[in-house]
Amino acid sequence: MNAQLTLNELAALMKSAAGLTVDPKELANRPDATFAEFGLDSLGLLGIVGELENRQGRPMPTDAERCKTPRDFLDLVNTAPESVPTTGA
Amino acid sequence: MSSPKERRSVVTGIGVIAPNGVSTETFWKATVEGISVLDHVTRDGCEHLPLKVAGEVRGFDPGDLIEERYLVQTDRFTHFAMAAANLALDDARMGRADYNDSPFAVGVVTAAGSGGGEFGQRELQRLWGQGSRYVGPYQSIAWFYAASTGQISIRGGFKGPCGVVASDEAGGLDALAHAARTIRRGTDAVVVGAAEAPLAPYSVVCQLGYDDLSRLDDPARAYRPFTSGACGFVPAEGGAMLIVEEEAAAVDRGATVRAVLAGHAATFTGASLWEESREGLAHAIRGALQDARCAPEEIDVVFADALGVPAADRAEALALADALGRHAAQVPVTAPKTGTGRAYCGAPVLDAAAAVLAMEHGVVPPTPNVVDVCHDLDVVTGRARPGELRTALVLSRGLMGSNAAMVLRQGSGSPS
Repeated sequence: MNAQLTLNELAALMKSAAGLTVDPKELANRPDATFAEFGLDSLGLLGIVGELENRQGRPMPTDAERCKTPRDFLDLVNTAPESVPTTGA
Repeated sequence: MSSPKERRSVVTGIGVIAPNGVSTETFWKATVEGISVLDHVTRDGCEHLPLKVAGEVRGFDPGDLIEERYLVQTDRFTHFAMAAANLALDDARMGRADYNDSPFAVGVVTAAGSGGGEFGQRELQRLWGQGSRYVGPYQSIAWFYAASTGQISIRGGFKGPCGVVASDEAGGLDALAHAARTIRRGTDAVVVGAAEAPLAPYSVVCQLGYDDLSRLDDPARAYRPFTSGACGFVPAEGGAMLIVEEEAAAVDRGATVRAVLAGHAATFTGASLWEESREGLAHAIRGALQDARCAPEEIDVVFADALGVPAADRAEALALADALGRHAAQVPVTAPKTGTGRAYCGAPVLDAAAAVLAMEHGVVPPTPNVVDVCHDLDVVTGRARPGELRTALVLSRGLMGSNAAMVLRQGSGSPS
């Protein structure tokens, strides 16, 4: 399964993995805001990466858990070798 | 714990999450009334275990006080500690405005005896049931003894000296003493205390090796220290957090000085060597009195360790006689924890909280479920006993051999 990760799904993961209530529209409207600004720490991002790996049955790109912003994260995981290129978030 | 010129540590706020109350007010009401809430263990996965009676914290919803982002990454023991810290800060009327300009002036100290057993068990079950990929990253912090100190510090923005005391059950008192030392070195305030959550199945199994654990099935008879029916102790969840401040700083910001942490001492006499604990506890009491410049006759109430193991009860009664002399048979002795169980490191902090409240209200709370005391002690049983209480002595021992004593003095009250 190589579906594109959407902002809606990322917001849902931030809720389930890190207990954060984030509006996906916020994520879209503030593309340069960091995960830290949304309250997500490094362990929280690691949990999201782990959850995505389990769901998709494949490893995420090496630097996925080092991404600073939601946009960087989506760009990286959605352009990983096995996934279909995206035209925009 | 300081000379007059030194920086005295005073209690300005109390937050309690206990089996008999998830607020300081309900805890104190139940404590004064001598209500026992010991009951059968109802936690999932514990039904078949030989521990039948415990003090469970019921009706506690951590989401009422703590944001979900903190709850998902922490164990129940940290939920208790964060909630109690919240209550204590509210009680002390200490808000961010009080320390925003000087975050390094406020520290956090907790004591812990078992860490995050429930969280750890869940993740270990995922490890062996589903595989390592299913272990969440917060396992790396949630089950450690240090979790509560860290999360309270992060959540409140307290950047002063932080620490975790791991010195057995008596660590609850050692944490208070550590806070006082921290204040003496220049910190203005410390959020300090302990809370435990030892009733997850994994945690209960860890305790089954203790000979001192009561296995009785009757909540009214399972934990009766100082009686001929003593058959061990009943464990409990919960604990308390206090706001301890440097006296002048507290007065400056208009806080009420509830009590003074006047003296403390600790000793070690070896695991389950209860006869030897007599000497250790007596030495700790003498040390705490000396630290507080307090004569034995000044002690108006003793909050006993009250383990409920005959040899340990005898050692405690003798230690009191050794250290207090004739006064030992006259001073009111109480052990409210017989109505809640022993929350390990949380237990002596709950006793310290009760001691402050007892001095404020002028009443010694009773020792639930205890009648027919078989030691030469004036144990307050049945109902609370009114009296002018200016100085309290709190005692604590751990199963691994730590002993501690703390002297608390009545506070000067509200600023005039």
